Amino acid sequence: MESSDWELVQKCQAGEIGAFQELVSRYHQKIYVVIVGLLRNREDALDVAQETFFRAYRKIKSFQGGSSFYTWLYRIAVNIAIDSQRRQKRNPLDFRETMDGLFEEQNEVARDPFSDVHDRELREKLVSAINDLTPEHKAVIILRTVEGLSYKDIGEILGCSEGTVMSRLHYARKKLQQKLSAFL
Amino acid sequence: MRDCEFIRESLGRWLDGDIRASDAEIIRLHLESCGACDGERRQLEKLQSSLKSLLVSNVPRIAFEPFWAGVRERITEKPSWREEVVEWARSRFAAPGLAWAVPAVIVVLLGVLSLDSFWKLGSQRNNFAAVESIDAHGRNVALLREDETKTTVIWLYQNQEGEDESSGENTETNPSF
Repeated sequence: MESSDWELVQKCQAGEIGAFQELVSRYHQKIYVVIVGLLRNREDALDVAQETFFRAYRKIKSFQGGSSFYTWLYRIAVNIAIDSQRRQKRNPLDFRETMDGLFEEQNEVARDPFSDVHDRELREKLVSAINDLTPEHKAVIILRTVEGLSYKDIGEILGCSEGTVMSRLHYARKKLQQKLSAFL
Repeated sequence: MRDCEFIRESLGRWLDGDIRASDAEIIRLHLESCGACDGERRQLEKLQSSLKSLLVSNVPRIAFEPFWAGVRERITEKPSWREEVVEWARSRFAAPGLAWAVPAVIVVLLGVLSLDSFWKLGSQRNNFAAVESIDAHGRNVALLREDETKTTVIWLYQNQEGEDESSGENTETNPSF
């Protein structure tokens, strides 16, 4: 029978690295998808995802099980990703690298499900509109859309109330809708 | 029937399924009869599906083994002395058990500041008030210096006729401000 997250966490706390490996195998893809959404750059996202698990390992003894493990893990991931994004914004060189990552995404359009010209344009506008959102608004959109997390879980991850999550989601969707009105 | 503004503001929550059943039913009925709000719903649904397609479908799967190797390398790598110091400080001073320390420091600081005021109260104040006659024509200067607020008032005035006679020297020695 498969161990629960909490059982694996307890084994990690007792020093079993194999249990941590199992947790990483459960969540690495999910964490990666969320971080790619936030950073829009696959290589940076891979680095941030590995850093997330590294920090989780170092802090795992302090995890008391007050929230679910994945909520705790997402909180670490989102914080590192938002910090990294802010650093990139302050650093013009890193910002250009982010833009290079974006162009790379756009070049791959021919291979993705956005095959129609109209849909390709929509995709490009969508990428640009998402990049214009603040990290906090981007985070709620991604956690809701990618993971389908509840408002409560998103609030726990971002350290804010459900009401704040609700209003950020509303605002972010409105912004995206306005920028994409010609395509929707 | 609720107005369109309420419906449009609730559409996101309605699509997320995060709304009371009674409100959900009101929205559903409204959408059946209001083309404009239904258009808004279609836009939001298209936005949602495009977002999902962009954010989920286009992200490649990452192989676990090399990923884990990268994490493991970071775990086994010996941290630098600086990281160790930061980690030690964080574990010592950010512990929930030390939560009392912040209010305690504030109380001590307030205490020290109060003590400072207390000493000031106890010390001699250097206030000063005087009236001097400048010339023989009854022109005087009154000087008041108040130490606490660091205020100095210089008041030039001339005695009225008769005042000299009625109050005499008394006025000069006890000026009223």
